[in-house]
Amino acid sequence: MGKTSDFKDIKEKAIKSYESWRQSEPVRIIVGAGTCGRAAGADAVIEALKDELERRQIKAAVTRVGCIGLCYLEPLVDVVKQGKPRVCYGNVTPDKVSSIIDGYIVGDDPQSDMLLGSIGDEAIDGVPKLFDMPVLKPQVRIATRNCGFVDPEDINQYIARGGYTGLDKALKMTQEEVIEEVSKSGLRGRGGAGAPTGWKWNLCRQSSGDKKYIICNADEGDPGAFMDRSVLESDPHTVLEGMLIGAYAMGATDGYIYCRAEYPQAIKRLNQAMVQMEEYGLLGENILGSGLNFHLKIKEGAGAFVCGEETALMMSIEGNRGMPRPRPPFPAQSGLWGYPTNINNVETWANVSAIMEKGGQWYASYGTEKSKGTKTFALAGKVNCTGLIEVPMGISLHEIVYDIGGGIPDGKKFKAVQTGGPSGGFIPANLDHLTADYESLASAGSIMGSGAMVVMDEDTCAVDMARYFLTFTQSESCGKCVPCRVGTGEMLGILEKLCADESKPEDIDRLMQLCTTVSRGSLCALGGTAPNPVLTSLRYFKDEYDAHVNEHRCPSLMCKELISFYIDPAKCKACMICARNCPSEAIKGGKKLIHVIDQDKCIRCGVCLEKCPAKFSAVIKLSGDKMDVPDEPIPVGEA
Amino acid sequence: MEKIKVTIDGEVQEVEKGLSVLDIASQAGIEIPTLCHHPDLERYAACRVCLVEVKNARNPMPACVTQVMDGMAIETRTEEIDNIRRVVLELLLSEHYGDCVAPCKMACPAGIDIQGQIALIADGRYEESLIRIKESNPLPLVCGRVCPRFCEQKCRRNLLEGPVGINMLKRFVADYDMNSDGPYTPDLKPSTGKKVAVVGGGPAGLSAAYYLVQEGHQVDIYEAHPKLGGMLRYGIPEYRLPKATLDKEIEGITKLCGKIEINTRLGKDYTIDSLKKDGYDAVFVAIGAQSSQSMRVDGEDAPGVLSGIDFLRDVVIGNETGLGKKVAVVGGGNTAMDAARTALRMGAEKVIVAYRRSRAEMPANAEEVEQAEEEGVELAFLAAPAGIKVADGRVSGMECIKMELGEPDASGRRRPVPIKGSEYTMELDTIIAAIGQSVDNTSLPQDGAIELNRGYPVVDSETMLTSIEGVFSGGDCTTGPATAIEAIGAGKRAAAYIDMYLSGKPVIAIDKPYSCSKGELYEVRDSEFADVPTQARVDQETLAADIRKRDFAEIELGLTEEQALAETKRCLQCGCQDIYECKLREYATEYKVDDSRYGARQYLMPRVKDAQNFINRDYNKCITCGMCVRMCQEVRGVGAVSFINRGSATVVGTAFGATLEEAGCKFCAACVDACPTGALLDDKNRWRELPAHEVATICPYCGVGCQLILETKNNKIIRSVPDDNGPANLGQACVKGRFGLTFVNSDERLTTPLIKKNGKFAEATWDEALDLVAKKFAEYDGSQFVAISSAKATNEENYLMQKFARGVMGTNSVDHCARL
Repeated sequence: MGKTSDFKDIKEKAIKSYESWRQSEPVRIIVGAGTCGRAAGADAVIEALKDELERRQIKAAVTRVGCIGLCYLEPLVDVVKQGKPRVCYGNVTPDKVSSIIDGYIVGDDPQSDMLLGSIGDEAIDGVPKLFDMPVLKPQVRIATRNCGFVDPEDINQYIARGGYTGLDKALKMTQEEVIEEVSKSGLRGRGGAGAPTGWKWNLCRQSSGDKKYIICNADEGDPGAFMDRSVLESDPHTVLEGMLIGAYAMGATDGYIYCRAEYPQAIKRLNQAMVQMEEYGLLGENILGSGLNFHLKIKEGAGAFVCGEETALMMSIEGNRGMPRPRPPFPAQSGLWGYPTNINNVETWANVSAIMEKGGQWYASYGTEKSKGTKTFALAGKVNCTGLIEVPMGISLHEIVYDIGGGIPDGKKFKAVQTGGPSGGFIPANLDHLTADYESLASAGSIMGSGAMVVMDEDTCAVDMARYFLTFTQSESCGKCVPCRVGTGEMLGILEKLCADESKPEDIDRLMQLCTTVSRGSLCALGGTAPNPVLTSLRYFKDEYDAHVNEHRCPSLMCKELISFYIDPAKCKACMICARNCPSEAIKGGKKLIHVIDQDKCIRCGVCLEKCPAKFSAVIKLSGDKMDVPDEPIPVGEA
Repeated sequence: MEKIKVTIDGEVQEVEKGLSVLDIASQAGIEIPTLCHHPDLERYAACRVCLVEVKNARNPMPACVTQVMDGMAIETRTEEIDNIRRVVLELLLSEHYGDCVAPCKMACPAGIDIQGQIALIADGRYEESLIRIKESNPLPLVCGRVCPRFCEQKCRRNLLEGPVGINMLKRFVADYDMNSDGPYTPDLKPSTGKKVAVVGGGPAGLSAAYYLVQEGHQVDIYEAHPKLGGMLRYGIPEYRLPKATLDKEIEGITKLCGKIEINTRLGKDYTIDSLKKDGYDAVFVAIGAQSSQSMRVDGEDAPGVLSGIDFLRDVVIGNETGLGKKVAVVGGGNTAMDAARTALRMGAEKVIVAYRRSRAEMPANAEEVEQAEEEGVELAFLAAPAGIKVADGRVSGMECIKMELGEPDASGRRRPVPIKGSEYTMELDTIIAAIGQSVDNTSLPQDGAIELNRGYPVVDSETMLTSIEGVFSGGDCTTGPATAIEAIGAGKRAAAYIDMYLSGKPVIAIDKPYSCSKGELYEVRDSEFADVPTQARVDQETLAADIRKRDFAEIELGLTEEQALAETKRCLQCGCQDIYECKLREYATEYKVDDSRYGARQYLMPRVKDAQNFINRDYNKCITCGMCVRMCQEVRGVGAVSFINRGSATVVGTAFGATLEEAGCKFCAACVDACPTGALLDDKNRWRELPAHEVATICPYCGVGCQLILETKNNKIIRSVPDDNGPANLGQACVKGRFGLTFVNSDERLTTPLIKKNGKFAEATWDEALDLVAKKFAEYDGSQFVAISSAKATNEENYLMQKFARGVMGTNSVDHCARL
């Protein structure tokens, strides 16, 4: 395909190509095959579908798309028949594909226990609409608007759905007008810090330099966060289009996508997308005849969390060890190799293309006064509907946990939600009226962060969770500044002592003092925010810390060194199930003899509790307390 | 340059734009600590001890990278800033595993620089070693013989084959000096016109006198006995400390003093008041604890019952002692051993030491006990006197009761408990009670003028000031009976505070510098000395028991030079060489850190094994400031070392643990000079010897012209370091300039010309040699002549060489080898 300077031609051509393909396929089967879908078995499902279709000689196109976010229902399979709305099935397994083929492809009945709903404006009688599901209804999909709907490996589909229209518009505006439009949208950095994007762009635009760089920060590293991966895998062009708009607005000629090497699928799709862009004249010299030159490279990161910090990221691109440097100078003044540089997160860039397509005003109609638009969250932990969600800013945590997330599994109590990953904090259940936006989360001592959201139930120990997050930060510190390098290790050491029942009352004071020093004294935000899980857990769950230190008790019955298992002699029926399953042979007993746990041998794994038949429920887990049981097995019934 | 106004610590300053807070603070004379800043390196902001408060800034700002702006208000010492700095230092120290000061020195009550003492002996610098000792202990002849050696108890070599023979080495140099033509005498400062009275001529008094006279004060010593020395003379037997040796040591001190008044007793012949009236500006009371304690048993007054110290004193003076033939000595300390062994030498046929606890609890030195047994002294353990039998007007026996050991008492030793009905009688004619001493409080005014506690003057434990202005007291008379070295330490310390008092300053305890320690011996990790080759401790020659017990001849004969030199090799050089330059220690002292606050997780680094002997790396002292990494990369462009690992486990090292040589190190030691702690050190030095002089010179090795500073002492080059002001090298040098100049100290250097005669080199005079060279040179002309000079010649010599070659010999074939 020759290069063309007129976007209208490109668009027409893309739509034509896409439409003619659609028309040529009587049946199209669309499988969610992002990394999440594949982890859930999408590859096997695709394999089974293809085999079955071939066996039956049915002509149907099987397409891989990205993720619509319903992780708990993966693998998802959509079926589109000519002239009918798209129908979506969830939790599809290879052995169930023939029932879909029998029912809806050969036959005409979409009903199935896997049926989730139809997609699109038209309806099928008796089939609910997918987007009416409680998990999807409150969501507003902007950054993820194409995820699951376009083939990420086909630029035409992206263009057919309005892609690159925003770029085309932008190129017809002045740089100032583009930045003005972005400013008008109220978009703020989605990487976590929340700096206004328009303001940041303007700084970079006004910086003088022979050369300018823009960077897409795709070094997503928070435990439990996968928003960026999902967008890159499902819709790479939306990010690339955003970058082109940014390059034009700021006058950058070169760009980098800094993506962690652990995201091979995202990297593959980005590379494919860039090749297609070049074919369409959307990358390289004189883009769309506008005079914009822009060259883009992918830099694969080696997996250091700290490289998500912008100065460390640039160090890494320059070939050095990823260690943050002090700011100022800010990247907009002196960034990559000393040139003015703008760095935005994947989700920010993804929003930019939508903003330019539909207008800043439109974007700003979502969200709150200070936090405009939408935000994606990776909802995980003890919640029924785990997955990737995109919601308007200002939605309450309660809505996220209960309406979208479907509440807590197994009827357990909702304890807290952790936002912002290891840099964020715990927000207790009684503050679930707080809204998801920058200011509100900060007021509770947490941060928005890049969007990890981990729900905890009553079985989660706040001290142990703080310990877990510190394990992460202390091993991901770059090692440069003392408070972070040594301080986080020391904090972890204290938390480990707390969880292992080796703490002293003064440890809490030392922990507090370390929190202050680490947060106030660290060089970059990694250290600056590392104490947040500790600070918020101390703020909202101080009683649990006190219980660990003073009463040698873990109220959530989680910390192994603080719990013990007992067999209630009155309930034990001497069935030997627990004893047989005990990995440390700690259970004494025999036929018609009640079982007794040898506390010295017990490793507190909880297998006995798990294995004891529910009708007996003889195993009891205690913390800070002892149960009066016989030392040696006695005959059943004598207790 | 544009000027702006900033406020720093409340003072408005007009400063140049573009400077950092650190720069302007140093211009204003305000010291902001920093552990990672170096003028030659990119600003780094990692150590966080330079954080300052900038008004309206959200967080504390690193002074090294924060540029001053017009109107900026900076506070460098707020409570929060001090707290952050302290916590940061405490965190660094929680990982810092090392001994700032060697444990031997820490243990020595007089604080002798033992590592230095040994290093100087190893270097053959015996006189300097003696001087180094005398900076802390004026009585090395004495201590080298009788010291209980707290130092050796703490010696890290105990973890191998036993402690270094520190005390034998001390005696070696002390004897060397004593037997030399001109024993060492310290220089005295010009007279201050102040007068000090030292009351008591024992080790405490003598030490105080020795250090006070050096400060230019006149010191008079008042002594109750006929001779000076106190317990050294009257309590320690001749066979351990010959009086002739003691006299020499005392003579070395008294010759520097003013009046020596003997046979004058405080409280009888004069009082503290009278001393003050006599014009003394300060008084040091060090009267010891020379009264013996009673056994509190009936019959104690009977003839034949002696006190240990009285007995020993009578032997020294030559008085009739009243000793019989069958002797029991009661007690388990050194005085008991001295009394028992002296009794043997005085003709006793049988000597039994009765001690109420067991051997393990004996306070006496194990060697003393062993030697006593060898000489035939019998030991009766768990035996306590219960009564004294008298017959014919003299002791005839001692009733004893057997004891058993109960629970530990306050001293940590197990308390002896009598076993009922176990009484028995020892038949004997003499009992020597050596169970303790106390102050003779008849000397001190009892009118409350000087505050006493159970007879002992009450003093400030550090400054030794009594309740009377200008009157200080120390040694046994304030602590109770202790050792010579403790008294010496007290005397030395008293001298420092008396000098402080005499110079009109308020007498306030001097802050002790922070010292990091690897801990007690049992706390030192097992692998610590795993790669140290073993070498047995030397034994000094000792008279055989059957010979020595016949008379009072000195038993221990000291080390030979060969033995001494061998023993120096056993020193593990525990103390850090960076002690005077270490920033971490300096700030830890300033911010009064508690290094035990943190350390929930411990990281210990393996010992680094490098084959080269230029740079010593000990990453257990590394604070990961990156100074070496950056210096090697940014300034030298080598990159031999780097950061390794992530997170709390981040360390500095070479790739894959290679040796420095393998890592491409050029051994310029820029890293050593930049390192703020002792993690990187010159490998050759055994201790950090402070130079007496620093001489700037140009490195002779090549034509670059690097300016070096030669650190010298006693006409020896201690080390050479690059001069920051050197126009050609700006604080850098190569391995030759940095490590290649100490060859001038070599014993193998030719200092007289040699001429080969009959195939052998023989010493010649300079005239002979020059005549020969001139004669031979004259046989050739320029085309036949080539001149090559050594890099070890000076630049001037090299210049002369080429001038001679060109001008005189007429050749341009001139070269110079720039090799190490």
